Amino acid sequence: MAHQWGMVIDLDRCTGCEACVVACHAENNIATVSPEEAARGRTMHWIHVERHWEGEYPNVRARFRPVLCQQCGAAPCEPVCPTYASYHTAEGLNAQVYNRCIGTRYCANACPYTVRVFNWFSPEWDKPLHLQLNPDVSVREGGVMEKCTFCSQRITAAEIHAQAENRELRDGDVTPACVQSCPAGAMVFGDLSDPTSQVSRLARLARGSKLLEELGTLPAITYLERE
Amino acid sequence: MAPNSVTQTNVIDQEAERIREDLLRPLFRTSWRFYTVVGVLVAIGLPGLAAFIYQSYSGLGVAGLSNPVFWGFYITNFVFWIGISHAGTLISAILRLVNAGWRRPVTRCAEAITVFALVIGGQFPVIHLGRPWLFFWLIPYPSERHIWPNFRSPLLWDFLAISTYITGSVTFLLLPIIPDWATVRDRSTGLRKRIYTVLALGWQGTPREWHRLETAMSIMTVAIIPVAVSVHSIVSWDFAMALVPGWHSTVFGPYFVVGAIFSGIAALIIAMALLRKFLHLEEYLTPVHFNNLGKLLLLMSLLWFYFVFAERLTVWYGNETAEMPGFWSVQRGQFAGLFWTMVACNFLIPFPILAIKKLRTITGTVIASATVVVGMWLERFLIVVPSLEHKFLPYNWGSYRPTWVEITIMVGTAAGMVLLYVLFAKFVPIISMWELRGGEHATAAEVAARGVVGRSGAVPDATLLGTNG
Amino acid sequence: MRRRDFLKIAAVGGAAVTIDGCGDHATQLIHFIPEETLIPGLAVWRPGVCNQCSAGCGLQVKVMQGDAEVVRNGQSGLIKMGLAKKLEGNPQHPVNHGKLCARGQAGLQVTYNPDRIQQPLKRTGERGAGQFARIGWDEAIENLVTHLSPLASEHPPQSLAFLTRPLMGQRRTLVERFLSGFNGAQMVSFEPFDDSVLREANRLSFGHSQLPTFDLARSNYVVCFGADFLGTWNSPVAHNVGYGAMRQGRPGNRGKFVQVECRMSQTGANADEWIPAQLGTEGHLALAFAHVIVNEHLVKAESAGTAGSRIDGWSKGLPDYSPDAVARKTGVAAEIITRLAREMVTAGSGVAIVGGAPLAQTNGLFTALAVNALNELLGGVGRPGGVCFSPGLPLDESKRRPANAAEPRLISVRTFAEQVLSAREPDTIKVLLVNGANPVFAAPTGWRVREALDKVPFIVSFGNFLDETSNLADLILPDHSYLESWMDDVPESGTVDAVLSIAPPAMLSLHETRALPDVLLDVSRHLGGEASKALPWKSYEEMLQATFTPLRHSVGSIAADTDEEFWGKLKQQGGWWSSNRVGPPKSSPPVASFAPVKSEDPTWDGAATEYPFQFLPYVSQQFLDGTHANLSWLQELPEVLSTAIWSSWVEINPQTAARLAIGQGDLVEVSSQHGRVRAPAVLSPGIAPDVLAMPAGQGHEEYGRYATGRGANPVHVLAPQMATATGSLAWASTRVKVARVGSGDLILFSGGPTEFRAEKLSR
Repeated sequence: MAHQWGMVIDLDRCTGCEACVVACHAENNIATVSPEEAARGRTMHWIHVERHWEGEYPNVRARFRPVLCQQCGAAPCEPVCPTYASYHTAEGLNAQVYNRCIGTRYCANACPYTVRVFNWFSPEWDKPLHLQLNPDVSVREGGVMEKCTFCSQRITAAEIHAQAENRELRDGDVTPACVQSCPAGAMVFGDLSDPTSQVSRLARLARGSKLLEELGTLPAITYLERE
Repeated sequence: MAPNSVTQTNVIDQEAERIREDLLRPLFRTSWRFYTVVGVLVAIGLPGLAAFIYQSYSGLGVAGLSNPVFWGFYITNFVFWIGISHAGTLISAILRLVNAGWRRPVTRCAEAITVFALVIGGQFPVIHLGRPWLFFWLIPYPSERHIWPNFRSPLLWDFLAISTYITGSVTFLLLPIIPDWATVRDRSTGLRKRIYTVLALGWQGTPREWHRLETAMSIMTVAIIPVAVSVHSIVSWDFAMALVPGWHSTVFGPYFVVGAIFSGIAALIIAMALLRKFLHLEEYLTPVHFNNLGKLLLLMSLLWFYFVFAERLTVWYGNETAEMPGFWSVQRGQFAGLFWTMVACNFLIPFPILAIKKLRTITGTVIASATVVVGMWLERFLIVVPSLEHKFLPYNWGSYRPTWVEITIMVGTAAGMVLLYVLFAKFVPIISMWELRGGEHATAAEVAARGVVGRSGAVPDATLLGTNG
Repeated sequence: MRRRDFLKIAAVGGAAVTIDGCGDHATQLIHFIPEETLIPGLAVWRPGVCNQCSAGCGLQVKVMQGDAEVVRNGQSGLIKMGLAKKLEGNPQHPVNHGKLCARGQAGLQVTYNPDRIQQPLKRTGERGAGQFARIGWDEAIENLVTHLSPLASEHPPQSLAFLTRPLMGQRRTLVERFLSGFNGAQMVSFEPFDDSVLREANRLSFGHSQLPTFDLARSNYVVCFGADFLGTWNSPVAHNVGYGAMRQGRPGNRGKFVQVECRMSQTGANADEWIPAQLGTEGHLALAFAHVIVNEHLVKAESAGTAGSRIDGWSKGLPDYSPDAVARKTGVAAEIITRLAREMVTAGSGVAIVGGAPLAQTNGLFTALAVNALNELLGGVGRPGGVCFSPGLPLDESKRRPANAAEPRLISVRTFAEQVLSAREPDTIKVLLVNGANPVFAAPTGWRVREALDKVPFIVSFGNFLDETSNLADLILPDHSYLESWMDDVPESGTVDAVLSIAPPAMLSLHETRALPDVLLDVSRHLGGEASKALPWKSYEEMLQATFTPLRHSVGSIAADTDEEFWGKLKQQGGWWSSNRVGPPKSSPPVASFAPVKSEDPTWDGAATEYPFQFLPYVSQQFLDGTHANLSWLQELPEVLSTAIWSSWVEINPQTAARLAIGQGDLVEVSSQHGRVRAPAVLSPGIAPDVLAMPAGQGHEEYGRYATGRGANPVHVLAPQMATATGSLAWASTRVKVARVGSGDLILFSGGPTEFRAEKLSR
């Protein structure tokens, strides 16, 4: 049976440190866009930490919620793409084929989580920053939509590794960059089709809920609410 | 019934000849005004083309779009022009279907708007692409990699619907032009004769040919109506199918179709008024036509108002968390100015003008139409942008300001639309000569009695609405 | 023409000349494969030591082969070399347990920064004009030796100073030994937002002059006074790891967390209860908790031991700190004080944390001692779920220095500047060596550092980048980045183990730079005499090996039969740590001669009538004190509460802002008696109405393309006021006024409204 990759994010552990955000930039060749472009809302973050204020001073609280592609089971982004650039993999990922994308941006409109980002220009790296680029991840050109992949290159690497050792993938073999970096251990990644995996066990907790669950998108990410 | 099967009196012969002369004059005589107009339109249009090339070269970022407002002016214009395109084919098909005799001078102006609005509107989905040079990946052709487009995507439905519509509209426009081109062929010499010989497709005017033409037109008339309705429904589904608060609504299909016909009629009235003035067609495009189209516009204005009211009311009453921020931004937030301008343009101004018989003059209907065109553009904008600015997660809300690139392209394509229309009127008799004659033959007796046709504008309704055309 | 435009043109022109001069370009390229161990496309993970803050986290560096354009000996070429691609935490490391913070991850951009100094530079224009000529290393070293050799012998004392940010590991020893060769050379340590007050308090309370380690993972109750311990303070990664476990690591037992601060920090945002107390009164609040605990006989006062004895009136039950009295002072209701005090005790294991702004007051030491006493009263010191102090390495410290060498004088930048500027000792300092410190940017204007530097005849910088301070240098000898160097550190806190982090270079140097330790060794060899005797090693690697191989004889993470084997494993593992957890370390004998502290209120600079707001600069989540402002990933990382990117800003309570007609994003001017600063306003519900807060780190005048000219520097308004006990800057004791002056250029990541409520989003 194919793996069904999923994630649990424990909001009671998340401290809003944003280690995940920079980890994602480093792993996935995400470009920075300049202050001028950032001011127009064109940053390329695949993951961001939402902050919500509650109440007023002095009885004020802030809550954090890391939001990345929810890798929906019934993804609104997929059917709307006219060129199949956005499609569903057998392992439950909402994949984006950059080479197939012609930039209608329909998928990004359809996505209720606003986690798809568009390359308004071709990205540039001031030399020698380009030497940092991860050769396992393609660099996207201007006019193309991009998004979180659950670090599919790490999944592939782990699968190859397991194959080389002639064994099945084990729980914990795959960690996307954000999960790897999370100091508070708020993020857990794994195979939801394996009921014994850590991610499956956590996803069943009573604190769990899905973001915008009522939309019926069947996200693969479960949020464990703050107590 | 073919014209040459009717016994012709001298009076009618003379009259027919005069009609031909009037209507063919623009084809044979070219004034400096024509060149000036073409020059000005090209001068406005070329910067638009340059802006598009610049955008393709630099990246779509030169437009004012951003995350999460991924669609803006381009899609607004797309929907707007596709809406305008409903001027023609749908209106003229309906009028043909109900056999409204007064339609005769109107149909071709209307159908031409359709074709050119589609040509212009159809460019916008390509202009708005991130990688416009790959637009052909939308076309379902068998590629060597066996990758078909995704037939589940409303954008593909769009592509299919619009290409069907443009094919149908072109056919619908060209079929009745053939006899008129034959007339031009017969009256011209030299290069022009050779060109029109080709265009006339060997039309001889035999009863057989007339019969086939009539049959073809009957079929097209019936066929084009569902196509036209489907086109704007599908355009509306680009929005309604996406999970965006403010877009996801069942009313969008009919709402868009009504809006499209509404803006189409308005565009038609404006076009007719301009043609009337510049091509001196006062005798053919009479106050009666404007009066009748004005009534239609009034009907559409009421229908439009009803749809807007229904759409807004249900959203407001439903009071869904996700829908309300976008709703209020339109009703009383940063878009309120545009919203109330739209209501004024589409209802408050045109309604009294069109409802009061005294005001339903040529000037009156043109004023009403002008506001409607502006109002309908605003309506498209208010559907596209405020919703995208206010999606489900407020943390990610954004804003949109168009740049000079979008405005230049928008103005340039509008100029392109007018240019195409001007050129069309230059090479094709803008009023169907044979159909006009057909209409008049039916009332030959009355015509003979009065000695004049369609001169004063006070032609009795029986003539215009004659049923045996 | 703007400066940047000029640089662009110059760069293009330069490139054109290069291409022109090469003739057949391809034949000029040097191709060689320096590392045969790398297979194209396959990553190897090498150990590293993070240098992005002083926590000393262990790294894993993902290295893959790539083609890099380099310049060697004036010739440019393409070489195949191992390139660092990603930084992750070392899973075995006892401080960070495989994790790494945002700033640590962004460390890659230090190495690959486009604005790095690529080879030695010599000043050609006026000092500070930023005009430098590229020179070779031989010339550079010779130049430095020429300037140093007269100082090594007969010159008057204190003619050499070494201005540095706190040095890690053996670098400190090496520099101290280097300076010992000079008569009375001074070590000038500079760290903005330093923790010297807390170290002093810990020395007085517990006998440890170091930052504390918290066992958050086993804590049931955490009360923190002002420290942004999950964001920027002390050892943030270690704290986050512990915090996660405290919340959800023990089924059925979720620790409670209370934060006391007047401006909500990233840390405070996670608190179960967020208590805004008047800035500078946190010590009183801590003692009010103690008052309740002692007077309700929940815990005996004597159990606070030495820490308690530091507080005047402790044994009498702290009569001055009744909840009612303290409530008036702090603005925290008496009922809340009483309730929280009871909760702390009943929770079982609790810990009190203090740091940051409360200690950057004139009464900082009082506050720190008060919290220390509370901690001891809660029984948390040296116990699970409490606070302890990391043990040092089991090495013979006496070998650190040559027997005859005097310890270099350690002075502050303020003292240094005073000394240089004072008329009594004109022209004492002949040569100033600068390493990583940027006081021109980060020290308050009142310290007159810039003026002092102008009087120093010869300044040498070892910086990677041109910043406000190294821009004044006469000679720049660029250091390797920390991924290109031998790195070692003994974390001061964040672990209960004795830990050595050590790693060889993860990659070859990208540019013609040299590691500071090796340069100093080289210079000392050239100088000869005393200087070279103190530094007998040929290279820094040799020094590290000599210093740390004795660890083989202590029980730890490495078992080896020979020194070589030990050294090999040490390099491979990225460090050594004691395998059996060292228990609570023995307290050093308490300092006897210390009069117990009396209740002390903070002294504010500026009258409350004219300057109605307390000004709170804070360490930036992105840039800390500004060191990381030149990293584009961090510039584009939203500050998590304001969501601002590429900006600096002033945080204002919405009600205050409404009163002053200041809107979100409006440009405001904040002025004190000492200076003014302009920045856009951020209306934040998490700040007290009489406080204005501003992140440090932006407002660089010279720091590469990503930082220069971006935002404003809050240091400009700070009063040069000292925390009385330690002489360090009381950076949170300035009063200011504020006014709207126009529209600002705030860039926010989130386009959403601030008042939205989260409960509407889930379920």
